[in-house]
Amino acid sequence: MLAGKGFTKVFNLSGGIKAWHNKVAVGPEDVGLRLFTDDASPEETIIVGFGLEAGLRDFYLSMEKRVATKATKELFKKLASIEIIHQERLVDLYGEMTGKHFSPADFAEKIATPAMEGGLTTEEYLGLYDTDLESETEVLGLALGIEVQALDLYLRAARRSSAEGAKKVLHRIAEEERSHIASLGHFIDHGRVPA
Amino acid sequence: MKWLQFFTPASSITWKEANELIAQSPEDEVCLLDVRQPSEYKGGHMPGAKLIPVGELDGRLSELDKEKPLIVY
Repeated sequence: MLAGKGFTKVFNLSGGIKAWHNKVAVGPEDVGLRLFTDDASPEETIIVGFGLEAGLRDFYLSMEKRVATKATKELFKKLASIEIIHQERLVDLYGEMTGKHFSPADFAEKIATPAMEGGLTTEEYLGLYDTDLESETEVLGLALGIEVQALDLYLRAARRSSAEGAKKVLHRIAEEERSHIASLGHFIDHGRVPA
Repeated sequence: MKWLQFFTPASSITWKEANELIAQSPEDEVCLLDVRQPSEYKGGHMPGAKLIPVGELDGRLSELDKEKPLIVY
């Protein structure tokens, strides 16, 4: 989000503030991750977005089982269900762009999964962040960070797209990601979603 | 679902390297940016860190100097 906006001297602090407090170097070198490159085609962006939504859904369903608080469980369950809607919208958009129409399940199997070959599983990805998965605050913070990456992806894709219909869909999904971000942020601060 | 295929690394530095960068730079040259939530910032943050919660970042980029090194956590 920063690197793509003219900020050239951006450094992610490995291990975050925990590393600062403990005065030890923690976390692998590539903890600060950003999504994608600027020269991706709209179709590639949709495939990445679909994969990201599936990964997010995996993440929320996994975390729903791990966290203890009922309110957090419900939040993660709700967010997981919304990711399916995003996937459906992306598959529809792919169909409009390419003329190739799939069900979400077929898209996952025939398009997204082969494209994601060699990537990390959700557990492996989480392992890169050195997040204490027993800490609800850290899990929520991680969710927030991933949602922001999704927002960045969709905003950049919308900017690059020359098709008005695609721009609208991508902007709509981006706005829903913003509402996820707002919900997560509010939840971290107040222990509940906004009214 | 395998989903990290398209993630690419951004530059990371250790706390020691961050300290060295700050010590070697003129005062106020290096910006520390805290992208957590206000409650987390309140609970403890790096001295002098500017808070812009990550969800607000894209709307508040004008508050940051693009020419200065930015350490984000």
